[in-house]
Amino acid sequence: MKRAEKLTWVERLYIPMIAQGVWVTSAHFFRNLLGFITGRRRDFVVQYPEERVDYADAFRGMPCLVQLANGKPKCVACGLCEFACPTDCITIVAGELVDDNIERYPEQFDIDMSRCMFCGLCEEACPEEAIVMSREVEIAAFTREDTLFHKEQLLVPERLLKRRLGFLRAEYDRVHAAAE
Amino acid sequence: MEDCGSGILQRLIAERGEHLESTHAQHGDATALLRPESLLEVMRFLRDDSELAFNMLTDLTAVDWLDRAPRFEMVYHLYSLDWNHRLRVKAGVPDAPDAPAQVDSLCELWPSANWMEREVWDMYGIRFAGHPDLKRLLLYEEFEGHPLRKDYPKERRQPLVGPRN
Amino acid sequence: MSEAAQRLAGDSRGDLHSEHQVLNMGPSHPATHGTVKFLIELDGENIVSLEVFVGYLHRGFEKECESGSWYQAIPYTDRLNYNSAILCNIGYCMAVEKLLGIALPERCDWLRVLAGELSRLGDHLTRCGAACLELQAMTPFLYGIEARELTWDLQEELCGARVTSNYIRIGGVKHDMPGDFPGKCRAGIAKIRALLADFDKVVTQNRIFVDRLRGTGIISREDCIRYAVTGPVARASGIALDMRKDEPYLAYDRVDFDIPIGEVGDNYDRYLVCVEEMHQSLRIIEQCLVALSRMGPAPVNVADPRVRWPAKDGVFNRMEELIQQFKAVTEGPMVPAGECYQAIESANGELGFYLVSDGTAVPYKVRCRPPSLINLAPLPLMVRGAMLADLIPTFDFINMIGGECDR
Ligand code: SF4
Ligand code: SF4
Repeated sequence: MKRAEKLTWVERLYIPMIAQGVWVTSAHFFRNLLGFITGRRRDFVVQYPEERVDYADAFRGMPCLVQLANGKPKCVACGLCEFACPTDCITIVAGELVDDNIERYPEQFDIDMSRCMFCGLCEEACPEEAIVMSREVEIAAFTREDTLFHKEQLLVPERLLKRRLGFLRAEYDRVHAAAE
Repeated sequence: MEDCGSGILQRLIAERGEHLESTHAQHGDATALLRPESLLEVMRFLRDDSELAFNMLTDLTAVDWLDRAPRFEMVYHLYSLDWNHRLRVKAGVPDAPDAPAQVDSLCELWPSANWMEREVWDMYGIRFAGHPDLKRLLLYEEFEGHPLRKDYPKERRQPLVGPRN
Repeated sequence: MSEAAQRLAGDSRGDLHSEHQVLNMGPSHPATHGTVKFLIELDGENIVSLEVFVGYLHRGFEKECESGSWYQAIPYTDRLNYNSAILCNIGYCMAVEKLLGIALPERCDWLRVLAGELSRLGDHLTRCGAACLELQAMTPFLYGIEARELTWDLQEELCGARVTSNYIRIGGVKHDMPGDFPGKCRAGIAKIRALLADFDKVVTQNRIFVDRLRGTGIISREDCIRYAVTGPVARASGIALDMRKDEPYLAYDRVDFDIPIGEVGDNYDRYLVCVEEMHQSLRIIEQCLVALSRMGPAPVNVADPRVRWPAKDGVFNRMEELIQQFKAVTEGPMVPAGECYQAIESANGELGFYLVSDGTAVPYKVRCRPPSLINLAPLPLMVRGAMLADLIPTFDFINMIGGECDR
């Protein structure tokens, strides 16, 4: 590793180095300014909330429940996500259905978002693709009670989760392709 | 005493075999279980012997075997910078109501033991004889109990922590 | 004169500042990036003695791990060193794999190296950037943090989260890298290199910066060894200690990189070592990309039913896999009884995991050897006699990360 034991006299003189620093910083400034004028922004800052970044496909936001076209949750209340969750933030109360070919459904499905850490283990555990990580991250609340999300708040129609479901399904295909 | 094909254990058995209780090399980690009363002596040998030269005490911790005797086990991980080899040294520490768990401090051999022993005192309540400043490291003085003991319930609330809300 | 007035007069004739002053710095001080308290005894502006109080971020990591399955500890390891979460993931998973006796597929090795180096890069950028900020140099901080954002963007592409990646699994990784990742990564690397060059121009030969760092916070080679200091701090003191070279794990024996060694062991050396390590990390990442693209699609997880959850589409459609999934989730992997210690080179030094299993699905003991805690211990030694202001860069370049230090 190269360690300059002594600064050269130019460097000791402050002024040239300051000029160099000013040169670097102004280069950044003018580049950003030019980008701003021409509409091709170069600066890194995103003016949230007016602007938002597009998260990656793999992005994990808050977990949500897949809602089928008939308005019912896809979940069969098997409880695997409850088991897999490290922070025990999922609470499920199962109900029985008699008329349907799905026998069980979640009567109550709560996720305590103040404890959820968006780890995605529930999604990995679910045998029904019924709980997936959405792209939603703005879940702040004013009271602790409001951070407990109930089934109604968690249900998201399947068509809005296309990107995540597409990502997951592409992963299954890749696993198969790799195994062959 | 088995040397498990490890040169470190061979040398240790040859030189200080009388202080060892057992050895193993599970998963390739050479391990020696010592009699606790000879801890300081063997550790000094391990540090100063030119063929072993364990000049770094990389890690120090304890394990609580709640219903075994001795209850605690000190675990030391040594590393030799010169030889690039490792050794795990363990020593049982009995715990009784009239004689609380205590073991010799290694601070005089390796100053790195200082904080790690404080942490073990903090988490397991094992005292270190000869430690210059044995007090809690991560928790606060008013903390009651030693949380990594197996009989410390995870949900227990401390007096200074307010009511549940 | 009255007695009191006499005493006052006597006082003013004597040395007014003969008493040492005790100063409390922290736990939340704007010039330290880490929650830590110093109790400093000052003689004028010189530090006579210093005591460090840690533990403000203690969350009971080890206790928490002892109450869940082996799997459930992985997200917690993200929260150890949150600047380089993937390295902590890797350390823990490798330790469990050692207990289970699992050999990894090759592609997984490379992916782990790639992800790990990305996160090491982010950690070093934070360290150097934040150190500049705390030495009142705002601009290099912004360049450093911009570069770190780029590494985090890449981590988001790869793992799905910027900070708490939860990417590594026991016996593999969560998923392979996306198809367009190599291109994005190369573009990111080019930008990071440009930013590092600007960073270098602004501070490395800047007299103010150099004067603040050179000769401050010196720790000798011997003291490093006695205090078991590892990582960039030890390397800056001239110890060629790097787990990636000494005990090569994953694919580190197949990549070409150098480890920078300092001579003096002062803050300037630490800064130079970190900067050089960033360039080496970029080199490693490029080699990983080449190796991964040469390899073509291959499994990234071991096909060991003990740790691998069954393929998802099988679970949806077939009874057998469904039952397997139920078993895998509700029981978790059973790890044979035993103990092991696995050390990796994290951004701060040797990150070790000492695991004890009693043969059940719940870890009996999870001990994390936190490099930043152990590197912080000799701080009083490093700043004794120095000016109070020298404490700031010294503390910054030790890079104490609260989450890892306090667990
Ligand atoms: S994301 Fe993780 S913490 Fe949140 S509900 Fe799912 S398993 Fe639990
Ligand atoms: S694992 Fe899936 S199907 Fe089972 S309870 Fe959870 S969300 Fe419902």
